[in-house]
This record gives sequence, structure tokens and C-alpha cells, in this order.
Amino acid sequence: MDFAKSDIQTMLLDSAERLLSDMSGVEYWREQRHRPFGFDEARWAQFAELGWLALPVPEEVGGLGGTIEDVALLNIVLGKALATEPYASSVVLAAHILGQADDRAAADEALGGIADGSLRIALAHQEDGADPLALEVGATHARPAGDGFILDGAKLLALDAPGAARLIVSARIEGEEGLGLFLVPVEAEGVALEAYPLIDGTRAADIRLKHVRLPASALLARGPRGAQLLGEAIDRASIALMAQAVGAMEAANRICGTYVQERKQFGAAIGSFQAIQHILADMFVAAHQARSMLYHALANADRPEAERAAALSAARLVIGEAGQLVSRNGIQVHGGYGLTDEYAISHYFRRLLTLEKQYGDLTLHVGRLGDHIFA
Amino acid sequence: MELRLDPELENFRQEIRGFINDVLPPDMRERQRRKVANNADVTDQLRWMRILNEHGRAVPHWPVEFGGCGWTPMQLFIFNEELYAADAPEFDWGGTHMLGPVIYSYGSPYLRERFLPMIREGQTMWAQGFSEPGSGSDLASLRTSAELVGDKYVVNGQKIWTSGAAHADWGFFLVRTDKTVKPQRGISFLIIRMDTPGVTVRQIPQINGEAHLCEVFLDNVEVPADQLIGEPGMGWTYAKFLLEHERTTSSFIYWSKRELARAKDIARGERRNGRPLSADPAIRARFARLEADLLALEWSVLRVLAHEELETPEAAAASVLKIRGSELQQEVTMLQVDLLGLKGARYFDVAPTPPPAPDEAWPDYVPGRTTVALITRAATIYGGTKQVQKNILARLAFGL
Repeated sequence: MDFAKSDIQTMLLDSAERLLSDMSGVEYWREQRHRPFGFDEARWAQFAELGWLALPVPEEVGGLGGTIEDVALLNIVLGKALATEPYASSVVLAAHILGQADDRAAADEALGGIADGSLRIALAHQEDGADPLALEVGATHARPAGDGFILDGAKLLALDAPGAARLIVSARIEGEEGLGLFLVPVEAEGVALEAYPLIDGTRAADIRLKHVRLPASALLARGPRGAQLLGEAIDRASIALMAQAVGAMEAANRICGTYVQERKQFGAAIGSFQAIQHILADMFVAAHQARSMLYHALANADRPEAERAAALSAARLVIGEAGQLVSRNGIQVHGGYGLTDEYAISHYFRRLLTLEKQYGDLTLHVGRLGDHIFA
Repeated sequence: MELRLDPELENFRQEIRGFINDVLPPDMRERQRRKVANNADVTDQLRWMRILNEHGRAVPHWPVEFGGCGWTPMQLFIFNEELYAADAPEFDWGGTHMLGPVIYSYGSPYLRERFLPMIREGQTMWAQGFSEPGSGSDLASLRTSAELVGDKYVVNGQKIWTSGAAHADWGFFLVRTDKTVKPQRGISFLIIRMDTPGVTVRQIPQINGEAHLCEVFLDNVEVPADQLIGEPGMGWTYAKFLLEHERTTSSFIYWSKRELARAKDIARGERRNGRPLSADPAIRARFARLEADLLALEWSVLRVLAHEELETPEAAAASVLKIRGSELQQEVTMLQVDLLGLKGARYFDVAPTPPPAPDEAWPDYVPGRTTVALITRAATIYGGTKQVQKNILARLAFGL
């Protein structure tokens, strides 16, 4: 076991710290949230130049073939800087599905686009009333027609879909078990998006699919393999988001540590009061345990499905609760200022709350781990 | 960054598991598994030390020249994990993990030759005399004095919470040898034979019916001056060294993992309305939280063992282990009690013999759960209370 960073990891982190320290913080964030997709496309292009978008893409198609540990380390820095770019969905999740897709020509072309920053892809899987962790769908279905398929259905809360040119849509294929994963251009006839912002400034969309005609090459995976692939991809995206949460918590702690030394009441810095000190100590413990669980999830990322899922849920549980403890107490020690848009802590609160809800919330992961323990 | 366990360690684990299985006497294991009190096994503890010592594994964490095994931190971790999982008796932590390291780091050749074999071979239990009635969290204010008269120290004062003193032939004490300097500078580390005239031990009846913790009264106790470890006035520094040295011990991770496994047995064994408790979603949720929290603690231990580079001092990470380790010991023992419902309120001073058949109303896992849970309230108090640890964290991690 070795926690030391490799040369490549050190270079990656140095470049990330450099770029993001110039362009981060609340001022930067406040400018971005009014842009159409909630982030700056020029900075996305810089992500591409620095090789970040190629990181999880296989080397054979122009990527860097980085490990999930590399991805996590980068995402810690993104989380610190409150980056709203769709890294987890459009890079980590999409690259994993495309990297394993059946039709190589279409998939390799798309992977090249992810790596060079010209193409963003979002997942459209969640449906209203469905279990977000279930690798099956109810309403959305694909009917074989001619050489291809006709897709009908509706999706909810497709994260980062407003800024994506293509969607990976999960659907039941008529007459088949398992799950079909389709690559669908957003501009295809019959696709309608209703886009909206989330509280953290990122974007999502509800999607209607009405008689969407797709060629056979649009089918990325089907059957049990489709479900398995989606599960793996969601778990990888989940790791990236957990890394962002860890980064966000560590940054929030630093901000709070500084604030309580500056803020004076009763003639003294409030950080001199033991009541405040113990809140910060709790926040430190929580963030430290959160990082430990990110490591646990990483160490188990390639284990067989059941163990991987249990490790991931355990990590989501600790990180989700830690994120809440840190951000709630972070507002508390800021007093009224913690509720303002001006102070960074309110942004970290919104980000950590949103992260906790993605790809299965705390309650779901508690349930899944509990069932695993007594399976 | 390589977070997956080295596959070689799995072979090591198998070797250790086989070793323990070969040398741990079944009757000793059975007594450990069925004990109702936390610390009622002095004879077995010392016997077990002697058995381990015959195989050169009584103090594997010591330097090789003093009888250690030269293992890596990960190998030591696995060794301890397997010992606990096998229900082996506890080490006498005072001797093996506190006094021993201080002696081999700072003690004279005489002290090393005289006492290190004694600890390694399990010749005696060691009493630890740190706290005093007026000096708990504020340990540096301790007042037990040791005055040099000729070639002897004359010791006067009172210690409290001295665990195991009634069964110990020897003890190590923090005493004040200089009242003229600032409190931390005047403290020394002194080894005292417990049957020296003037030493009186009184056991303290505890919340769980045991009397393991003691008061020790020292009344003109004459101690040979060569039993003072290292330099006079350096006792506080040595005590701090101990905390540095034993950063991960306070997590009790091995112990809590074993007790969580035991809690799962209870959840599967106890039934309500004909269904095992383990089928209840509320119970499962409680297990999920505890299991995840213990995994987080375990990884935090591994991070310290592997010396992860941190932005905050390593001592801050050690305080996290103490805080979470002690909280989780309490949570896992209280979960056991809660799973037993009202059965958990029955008082057992000994485990019933013969053990009950598995289908009887009072399964073998009932006795002992509550007595241990009661004394485990001490976990967030000894070795620096949770509140003192939070003070330390605020200073180290935030500069407050």
C-alpha cells in the first residue's frame, strides 16, 4: 500500500492547482452560473489542452489511459475549486461505456471527441419513480425497426444534458432481457429537452423521446452486458463525484478555519471559543474519514460487482454524511453571512448537497449496504 | 498511489492464521470468547505472552535486537487483526506497548537487560500510574513527588485509574522530581515494585461489577534511583513519545471489527415476531452506518501506518483515530446491547456453565455484552478525553 503520488499524478495535480487557482472561488463561479450550460466552454477547452479530458480515455483512441486513482486525484482539485464542468458525466461515465461498446467505429469516433473536448455526452437513465440504482428501466423502450430501432420514453434529471451533443439513453429492447444503451444525438428528430439549473449551478434536463429513429450503430451495448456496463460506469462517475466532495469539504474547512480567526465577537476571534473549536474539530474528523473512504472505494473499484457495490455504498454513506456535517456546520460558524450568496460557504453547501443526491442518495446507499451485510 | 493490498500479504495472513490456530490453546480461546468481564484474565494473558515468546512473536513491533520480528506496519496490522479475530487474550498493553518502547528508546543498558526480557516473557503484569485524583485531563499538574535521597527516590502521593494494579508485580509511574521548574519539565518516569513497603493498592468497584481499576497510595516508598528511566525531568517528553509511537493503537480497530462480527451473530440469532432482527430495515441501516464508519476508521489507520503525506501534522490524524476509535467502540457495544432488548439488562457475573444449547433462550452471546458495554464508556475518557482531543485538533489542523 502506497499513498505516494506517481510522477504523472504530481504533474496532473500541479497543472490543476495552477489553472484552477487562477480561475476559482466564488467570483469566478458567480460569472459561470449565468452561462447557458453553467460553465465556461473556453475553460473546458483548456481542460482538453491539459489532457484532463483524455485522462480516462483508452490510449488506442487517443486517450491517456489513466487509472481511476488519477481521475480521483484530479477530481479532488475540481471539487476544491467548485468546478461546475460536467467531468464526471461527460468524461468519466461516457468514456467507460464507449470504451466497452460493441460497435467500435461509432464508439471510437465519440471517444476521440471526448478526449479532444469537441464532444460532450450525458447519460439519460433516471425515470420518474424509479430506483436510481436499479439497472433496469420501466417506460423507455426500443423497438427493432428495419436495420435500426425506434425509441420512445421519458427521462428525468439527466445530469449535464443541456450542454451535451449526444445522450446515452438506457432502454428496454422489446423481446429482450437486460438493458439497451443507445447513443442518441440531441438534435435527432423526436428528442425534446427541458433544461433547468440545479441549486449548485450545474444543469440537468428532462427528456422526451418520441419515435426517435436510430441506426443499428447507435446501440452501444445490450442484454445483461448493457446493465453491467451501466453499473460500472455509474460507479466510476460516483467515485469522481466523491472525490469532488472530498475536495469541497477540505476547501470548506480551510475557509471556515480562516473565517473564525477573522470574525471577532465579545472582543475576541470566535475561533478562540471552545464551542467553535469543537465544531471545527468535528468538521476535520468528518473530512478526514471522507478521504479515507474515497481510498476504500478506489481500492475496490475493480472487484466483482457485489463487493464493488458494497464498498461504493459504504463510501457514499460516509462521504455523504461527512459532506452534510461539514457544510451545515460551515454555515453555522459563519452566522448570517453563511446564508449569503457572497460567502463561499453557501456555495459549498449547495454543491455538497447536490453531490449527495446524485446516483443514489444517502438513504438508498444505506439501504443497499444494509442488504449486502445480511445477504 | 497503490491502494490495493499487496497480494503477498494474503500469504502472510494465512501463515499467521495457521500459527495462531496451532499455538492458541483451545481452552484459553474458549475462556476468552466467553468472558463476561473486560479484564478478568490475567493468568491467561501472561500464559499467552509466554507462548508467543517461545515462538519469538510476543513483541513483534519492537526492534529486532530487543526481540521484535522486523515486520512492516502492514504485517503488524494483520498480525493484530488475526489475534483479535481468533479471540486470543489481550496483550498487557502497558508493558508491551508503553513501558517497553520507552525503555528501549531511553533506558540505560541496566534497565534494558533487566526489564525488556521480563515484559517479553510475560513474567508480570504492569500497572500504569499516570492519572491522579486532581490530575486527569490536566495530567501535567500531577503532584506525586519523588525526592532523591542518597541512591534512592522517596515517593509520596496518590495515583488513580491504575488499571490492573492489584494483579501487577511492577508498575511505571509519572512522578514529580522537580517542583521549581514549569510543570512539564519536572516530571520523571519511574519503575516501582508494587510490593515495596509504603505502596497500598485499593481496587475501585466499577459500573460493570469488575474492580480492575485501582487507586495506588504511595507513602514514603523507597525506589532505587537506577529505576528512573532516562533523564530526570524528561518523563513528560517520554510520555509524549509514547503517544507518537503508538498512534494507531488507540483506534482499537481490531477489537471493534471483531465486536461488529459478534453483533451480526446476535442480529441473526435474536428473533422478534418469528423473524430475525437482521431482516429489519432499521436494524440493517444501523449496521450499514457502523460498518461504513469502521471501514473509514480502518483506512484512516492504514493511512497513518503508510505515512501518507498530509497537509496537517500527523498528530492530527492520530487524534482522529482516537476520537473515532473510542466512539465506535461505544457504538458497537451499545448496538450489541440494544439488539438484546431487555435480555441485555440481565446481570451476569460469570458465564453459565455448561454453555447453553444454541436454541435456548439465553444464547452464549448474551453474557458479557452489557458488562463490556458499560465499561466501554471509559473509551472516550482515558488516554485524553474526546474533548481534549478536539482541543488538540483545533490547534493542529486550524491553528486555533
